[in-house]
Amino acid sequence: MSLYSQNHYGQASYTNAFIHPAPHSGYQYQYQQLSPPPPPPPPVFQLDPISFRREYTNRLAELNVNSRPIIQNLSMLAQDYSRFAEIVAQCLEAHIRRVPPWMKLPAFYLLDAISKNVYDPYARHFAAFVIPLFLETYGQVDENIRSKMEEMLLTWRTGAPNGKELFGVPPQVAIERGVWGDGGTTLNTSANFYSGSGQITKSQVLSELEFTLGQKERALQANPYDTTSQNHVNVLHQLRKLIEAGVSQEELQQILSQLRTLVRSAAPPPPAPIPTAQTQWQHQTPYPTQPQAQPPFQHPNLHSYPHTTASIPMPYHNVYENVKMEGSSTSVVQSSTSTPTSNPPPPTNIANLLSTLLKAGVVSANGTPLGAGATAKEEASQQSNVESIDHEREASRGYRQAILSQQIQLTSSDIIRKRPQIVEFLYDQLTAQCKQCGIRFADTVVGKKDMENHLDMHFRQNRKANQNIGRGHSRSWFVGVEDWVHNTSVDLKGKGRADGFHPVNPKATAAAENAKREAELRALHVVVPSGDEAKPISCPICKETLKSEFLEDDEDWVWKNAVMKEDRVYHATCHAEAVASTNNLAARLRTEMATGSRSGTPEAQSMSVPLSRSTPPRATLRDSMSKSPSRSPSLESKLAGMKRKVDHNDSVISGEADGTPPFKKLALSSLSTVSDMNVPKF
Amino acid sequence: MTSEDKPVDAREWKLEPETEYRFELDPGTSLAIKLVRGYAEVFGAELAEGKYYIFGSECKAAVFTWQGCVIEVTGHASTEYLSEETPMAAYANLHIAFEQMRVRALRTLHRSPSYDDDPSANTEPPRVLILGPENSGKTTVSKILINYAVRAGQGWSPLLVNVDPSEGGWSAPGAISVAPVHSPLPTCSPANPLGSAATSAPTALSSNALLPLVYWYGHAEIKRNPLLMDRLIRNMGENVNEKYDVDIEGRMSGLVVDTPSSFASGPGANEHRQKLIKACVDAFKINVILVVGHEKLNVEMQRTYGAHLTVVKIPKSGGVVELDHGYRERVHNYQLHTYMYGQIIQAPPGISSATLGGEALTDLVLSPSSTVINFDDLSIFRIGAETMAPSSALPIGAARVVSEMQPVPIDPAQSGSGLLNAVLAILAPPNPDENERYDEEILDLTVTGFLIVTNIDIPHRKMTILAPNQGSVVGKTAIVGSFEWQDQ
Repeated sequence: MSLYSQNHYGQASYTNAFIHPAPHSGYQYQYQQLSPPPPPPPPVFQLDPISFRREYTNRLAELNVNSRPIIQNLSMLAQDYSRFAEIVAQCLEAHIRRVPPWMKLPAFYLLDAISKNVYDPYARHFAAFVIPLFLETYGQVDENIRSKMEEMLLTWRTGAPNGKELFGVPPQVAIERGVWGDGGTTLNTSANFYSGSGQITKSQVLSELEFTLGQKERALQANPYDTTSQNHVNVLHQLRKLIEAGVSQEELQQILSQLRTLVRSAAPPPPAPIPTAQTQWQHQTPYPTQPQAQPPFQHPNLHSYPHTTASIPMPYHNVYENVKMEGSSTSVVQSSTSTPTSNPPPPTNIANLLSTLLKAGVVSANGTPLGAGATAKEEASQQSNVESIDHEREASRGYRQAILSQQIQLTSSDIIRKRPQIVEFLYDQLTAQCKQCGIRFADTVVGKKDMENHLDMHFRQNRKANQNIGRGHSRSWFVGVEDWVHNTSVDLKGKGRADGFHPVNPKATAAAENAKREAELRALHVVVPSGDEAKPISCPICKETLKSEFLEDDEDWVWKNAVMKEDRVYHATCHAEAVASTNNLAARLRTEMATGSRSGTPEAQSMSVPLSRSTPPRATLRDSMSKSPSRSPSLESKLAGMKRKVDHNDSVISGEADGTPPFKKLALSSLSTVSDMNVPKF
Repeated sequence: MTSEDKPVDAREWKLEPETEYRFELDPGTSLAIKLVRGYAEVFGAELAEGKYYIFGSECKAAVFTWQGCVIEVTGHASTEYLSEETPMAAYANLHIAFEQMRVRALRTLHRSPSYDDDPSANTEPPRVLILGPENSGKTTVSKILINYAVRAGQGWSPLLVNVDPSEGGWSAPGAISVAPVHSPLPTCSPANPLGSAATSAPTALSSNALLPLVYWYGHAEIKRNPLLMDRLIRNMGENVNEKYDVDIEGRMSGLVVDTPSSFASGPGANEHRQKLIKACVDAFKINVILVVGHEKLNVEMQRTYGAHLTVVKIPKSGGVVELDHGYRERVHNYQLHTYMYGQIIQAPPGISSATLGGEALTDLVLSPSSTVINFDDLSIFRIGAETMAPSSALPIGAARVVSEMQPVPIDPAQSGSGLLNAVLAILAPPNPDENERYDEEILDLTVTGFLIVTNIDIPHRKMTILAPNQGSVVGKTAIVGSFEWQDQ
């Protein structure tokens, strides 16, 4: 186990830290560095392309039902052999084209899983054929599968590790256009869309509604006391009824915009309203809505496959936003200045989405009261929780009784006379089996959870093994008595000491320490001198622009993650790193190790990328709205940039009536929802 | 290495329910077994369908099926056959009986109502001592019982205790050790019959990253220094009981003690044998003794312990192979090689992806570290004199100059120190509190790792050591035993 690695004091870790450069310079490239060229051949033997192709094709053939273990296995295999990405892509494409329609969806889920989890180089390879393949398949399958595909398509909008379109903008647009028609979803014509001339089909709106609804319901499952989500669910149910009953084109459009806002609001909180990076992390944990924010190495999207119960809602990041920045910005600015600033933002704008719609006369008032339904549902979900615990106890009690009812005497004669009912206890009782190692789990809630953890463990292990190829492992020292006696954890992680000489798991400890330090550093800020808000300044070390944010507590604009040293403003993290590197070797080692381990985890990337990437600060963004949008403004920066407008936003609908592009406005108001939902009251 | 179809010499075996496929391998050959359909297990560890499992290093094992199965075998086995006569039913009954003990113990712990229970039933978890003559399959029985316990789905993690120094458990021959087991122990090679001790490599199975507590006896034969053995067993028992005090739930899983064959029989020194069994029974608070296929020993145990603990004679598997001295020597070499370099077994031709003891083939490859150290960097001792007759063999009235338990310092600068190629056990640091130290503390320290002295440069007072990792050993204390190893 790498926990007990000795590499922290060996040479290997240095090398490793350099192989995995810190994700400072755009990790698209970094990913490419990591995968090809193929890793050095494993010392024992290596698979050649021909037999790999054969093997993969054979395994694909097993994918005839929507089975998470199979998909996961195939996805791991793809990850292990990313040097054969082309072959995987060819096999998968051929497979999807060949199999009958009812078998296509699982294969698409595999494509989805590989693209999202491994991303590079697969997304590139798949992008080459995903458009015709998706649309062809879409044409062949029944309604049910179509809606699943639509759901998946929506997740592709933000499926890339950086929260962008999984296969890039053009394929996303092309597929969406193919699926929902030329109507509201094309990027090229989205200007038309915003001004109201595009055609939106009912099915498209319904499909997005279903997606949003699913997301909210899952959030509700995860947290039955989340009344916000509860309300959303109710509203969405009513909206669905309305749409099904038939509404005008204009209404469809407005509903669609609202929906997108709602989905957006489920995305992780923008950095702006969050006082410290630490709290941001805490609050992302119960609200794992963005794939990047997943715990390291998890298979996030696999959880969202329809057949798993404990799903994680997938957000999507509206594709129009990036592209239409230019066209719509002017009107946003206009409209926001024209709205009265005294009006505070609605606390949860989506909670009164329906009533807003009703008020605005978008839909006719025939909805049912919300309160009763909400309570009932809440109770029901609590009930089911209790039931599952009871069920678990019951299962365990059942096993014990079954064991005790066996008539076995512990004597030499009795044990050879009786027929053991061992098969029941070792096999039949445990129906779920890990395909990787054969370990079995009970078909209960807890058993399923254990199995999921187990599969995640395999995934992590495979990934680690993959990253570690050619790195040289070694036998750990044995534990000392104290540690052995006190180590009672099942997975042996994070406890005790792996060897007598050094603290166990020095890497994890260092990484944890480092994460903590970093969170503290990020929480540091420098108040922007008044009048300088619009002035972009950059960190003298990394040359990247410092991000400014509005701290609501202090009612001040600040540069986040910043320290002031000798009249210059640095990124706190950069400065600390620079100081550390000039200090002693140990400190340097610590930093490097943390960087090395960070670069491997998607979580960490999501954390560090937006920070270190050159994001235009709010002030610049405001300017850029009238100029041209920066090449790749990150989601966060835009949210941060728009944060300020929240205060000015009063009525969503009236804004639309003014001819303001609805999305912009809604994005703004969504921010207040976000802060309401994800950020505690300070 | 590559072929278009399935391996050329692959052959299928169809196993009826409750039969097993047995095989023995020659040195340098390997075998790949794939479960085609049905259910199968190797010494209690279930096989996953469709995966190739590699066996090597003269492995002798069996694939057993309760429900019937078809397996595909690739590679050359010197012996292979199907057997319908297995003691598995008896072993399964043992498992069920032990599960009953665990469940009752847990109930008592939780004070759950024991309405359907026999009030006179034992409420202690099973703490099992396995005794048996050479080649009776004691280790296999231990493994099956442990594997069934961890497979029960009840979260058991029993302790597996190995007090057979000729086997070495998870470390090196000459050591005795104990480790908690959380997942089934795979079988792939006699070099690590009980799973593998932790490495820095990521592993899929926790049984390939075990954390054993290790003591160094230093010899293969019990009779070499029974006093030391006795002491180590009792030390280990104390550690186990300390652990149980900390982890009361863990205590409910019980333990299994695998013993050397010399506990069961052997020429002379009957007294030591009895003392060591007694040491085990006391140290681990044994409540069940299993005697594998040995009538006389069973009677003897019944007579000695039958009054206050359960003694059960269990059948021996017909599949156990008579092992000669040469084989045991080679296994010691495999073990030391595996300790340093990891598990490396070449898959049979035509097998492209396979698992070795539950791990991908390349995952258990390790890189030891060879370094040059000064003579003064290590304090090296030997316990007792190098060659020593037992005290009972001395003339009446003669006192030994060096006691069997006395640590004797060794100077590497002396030619004939016997250190070249010797296996050294590096000990955990002594008590940091000077006042707590005592003369023989060195006997009670656990092992943190093993070194091999690969070169001695007397003029420069330096020696080259092969260490499992790059951790420094400077300032450590080491004990040399009677094992030597040369890295070929």
